[in-house]
Amino acid sequence: MRFRKETAGRLGIALSASVMMIAGNATAQSNRPVTVVVPFAAGGGTDITTRAMQESLSDTLKANVAVKNTAGAGGTIGVGEVARARADGTTLGMAPVGPLTTQPHLRKLPYDVDSFDYICLAYSAPTVIAVRQDSDFSNLEDLVAYAKENPGELTFAVQAIGSIPHIAGLALADAAGIEMTFLPVNGDGPALKSLLDGTADIFIPHVSFYTSNSDQLKSLALLKDGRLAEQPDLVTAEEQGYALDFPIWGGLVAPAGLDDADISKFETACKAAIDSGPFQERMQALKQPSAYMGAADFEAFVREKYDTNRKLLEKAGLLAN
Amino acid sequence: MDLIVSAAAQIATPLTMLAIIVGTVVGVIVGVLPGLGSVIGLTMVLPFTFSMPQIPAIALMLGVYCGSVYGGSITAIILNTPGTPQSAATALEGFPMARRGEADLAIGWVTTASTIGGLFSVLVFVITGPSLAAFSLQFTPIEYFALGLFAMTCIAGVSSGNLVKGLVAGALGLLLATIGNDPVTGDLRFTFDSFQLSAGIGLIPVIVGLFAFSEMFLRVLQIDRPGPEASEMRVGFRMPPWKDWRPRIGMLLRGSLIGSFVGALPGTGAATSAFIAYSEARRASKRKDNFGHGEPDGLVACESANNAVTGSALVPTLALGIPGDPVTAVMLGALVVQGIAPGPQLFANHLDLIYAIFLCLILVNIVMFLTGALGASLFTRVLRIPEPILVGLILIIATVGAYGVNGNVFDVWVAFAAGVAGVVLRYFRFPVAPIVIGMVLEPTIEMSLRQGLILTHGNFWGFFERPIASLLFAITLMTLCWPLVRMGIAQLRNRAATEYQEDGWVDGDASEVAAVALLLASEDRASRLEAKSASTTL
Repeated sequence: MRFRKETAGRLGIALSASVMMIAGNATAQSNRPVTVVVPFAAGGGTDITTRAMQESLSDTLKANVAVKNTAGAGGTIGVGEVARARADGTTLGMAPVGPLTTQPHLRKLPYDVDSFDYICLAYSAPTVIAVRQDSDFSNLEDLVAYAKENPGELTFAVQAIGSIPHIAGLALADAAGIEMTFLPVNGDGPALKSLLDGTADIFIPHVSFYTSNSDQLKSLALLKDGRLAEQPDLVTAEEQGYALDFPIWGGLVAPAGLDDADISKFETACKAAIDSGPFQERMQALKQPSAYMGAADFEAFVREKYDTNRKLLEKAGLLAN
Repeated sequence: MDLIVSAAAQIATPLTMLAIIVGTVVGVIVGVLPGLGSVIGLTMVLPFTFSMPQIPAIALMLGVYCGSVYGGSITAIILNTPGTPQSAATALEGFPMARRGEADLAIGWVTTASTIGGLFSVLVFVITGPSLAAFSLQFTPIEYFALGLFAMTCIAGVSSGNLVKGLVAGALGLLLATIGNDPVTGDLRFTFDSFQLSAGIGLIPVIVGLFAFSEMFLRVLQIDRPGPEASEMRVGFRMPPWKDWRPRIGMLLRGSLIGSFVGALPGTGAATSAFIAYSEARRASKRKDNFGHGEPDGLVACESANNAVTGSALVPTLALGIPGDPVTAVMLGALVVQGIAPGPQLFANHLDLIYAIFLCLILVNIVMFLTGALGASLFTRVLRIPEPILVGLILIIATVGAYGVNGNVFDVWVAFAAGVAGVVLRYFRFPVAPIVIGMVLEPTIEMSLRQGLILTHGNFWGFFERPIASLLFAITLMTLCWPLVRMGIAQLRNRAATEYQEDGWVDGDASEVAAVALLLASEDRASRLEAKSASTTL
């Protein structure tokens, strides 16, 4: 047998080193490590926002902070994982609006609004109603007039059923008394494609997606209660007679039952992370306004949205039995 | 020209060069390890790109991207366990070759084919960029449905021996992929009230199970694996001689073209292109009978195709801002963080950046070739590791890989179950590659069919009003009927020959029986008509 032990040894080391690489870049810190679960895949908005906070969180908490992407089922798998984790201050989640306030109404989930302790709101991006750059519509009035003349001809690309853009579209149709064809697509990229290839007429992205694709898109209305300081030329829906306010937001949560001391520790770290240079730079690159809410405000905010989104979904007939 | 020179100056920095080399090597390694694929590789380097300047960050990601698509083929050849879904077709020819003791040669074929496919698509990227993006917009859901249907015909190409078993496996793949969220209504399907199943069955855990786990289980059970003695296995990297290359240049170009075409369509990907190229090669090859027994034609076609996806997949990603798959989506996310706004104006106003990407891609493909050539002696030595140690190592790595995709323990159980199922299926001689084809294509086919029906207001005939879709439907029909037509032609020739010789009917085969039946029926009808007319006259 010409097998050499040495080779096997070297190989074993190489393989185990490669395996360990995915464990993350660990540096020695005194406190227990903290894992932040991101319920979506790496590279998306939620993931990038969380990773931008990672370093500052780690510095403030004096602990290793690892970001873990647990994707699947519209973010409910990852948020469910946080709900089931032990409330010992080692597991946090970046919980976005969908899995937190709309998905629990759509189907049976192993968590609801009471399953968490709330730490902070970390981001909130308003949405816009977007059409192709060369579209004939230039405001909501054009859009509504067309939809009224041609009922069902206006096609609205929906990134996910029961998502905020979907609810916003339903609210628009309801407020304007129009009929649209809803075309489900898989996320922002495919929604953009359906506009460009002519299969859909409108969709509702968040403002940073709109901005980074603004040479192909045109905004008809900003769905926010006032204009945006960063992009003051975006006309709101409210100015055009429709009071629609649908931001896409998310924040840090922990499994319910955390010590008050731990909550305020994380709250402080979250505030510091959002104020930190790298995070602000990242938000500027994404042309996204920065937002923050403390633990108490955030909890009240989530509970309010949980109830209002339930009503909106009920009105649309999407509620689970 | 000035722009190319300035782009070259931009990338000729130590950091960029280091990023290209590190990225490509990391890419090849994550590709090699079963379960860890392009997405995990990119996720690993993502945090580093945040603190890097624009060009090195892009170079690092391109390296990981291209390297990982290639790397999967090495494990496919050596262990019959494709490191990534993109290389599932490679195992079909690569592993038989390795069992002949020619792993070094197989790696030579795939490394060269991957590099040439990659370089081909780099040219496609830079030459056709915006117009290719415009072309990809011709593909609406209806065209995607037609393309998905066509790609399903690949099942025939990868089910050597038993088409019925191949179709059963393909249907199994399609069914597995329907578990979880209904893509249109959001309702849950086939989840049996299991919360974990609501996310569906992941493709990567199933591949890890079907290939890596079941292969290792089979080795433990010692079923059906009388491979050559370890000492007979050639290690290293052997370049196939030119006389073997020359008749395969056509295959190489065909694979590169298929890959570049499929890559430019957002929503399809390297795995689909590899399967299409493989079955196309099998159809067109002069060495058809050798397929399944280690035919380089198949290797060259599928490896040039999956790597040709890399360059052209960047076209819709950059020129339209539409990432085609999770891999390009991660890259696009990182690019936006780097302050790069995708869209048509990127090709119009930022040509320096496009050229920098172009040059990086060329370098990445060269580094990829060198990594393969130099690393092959290490990788192929795996074959000389005693079986018990090897099986243990692979099981550990595969488990980590299955877990790593979504960071979910449930996926490990899925992989384990798929491993057991794989053993059973292989024992009963079911091909497993069609399961992968079914799972890869189901989301495209279902989503595009249902979107298409929404767009045509439920009228399926509306699908045939679209020229590209109709053409694809016609090609699908032709592909399916081709073997029948060929059989028919052969029979006609045969019959002509026998009629000439014997002037009469010979062997009563199916078509002749049918013809005779038709004849009898018409005679019968004629006689009845006669009878009828007779009765009326009476």
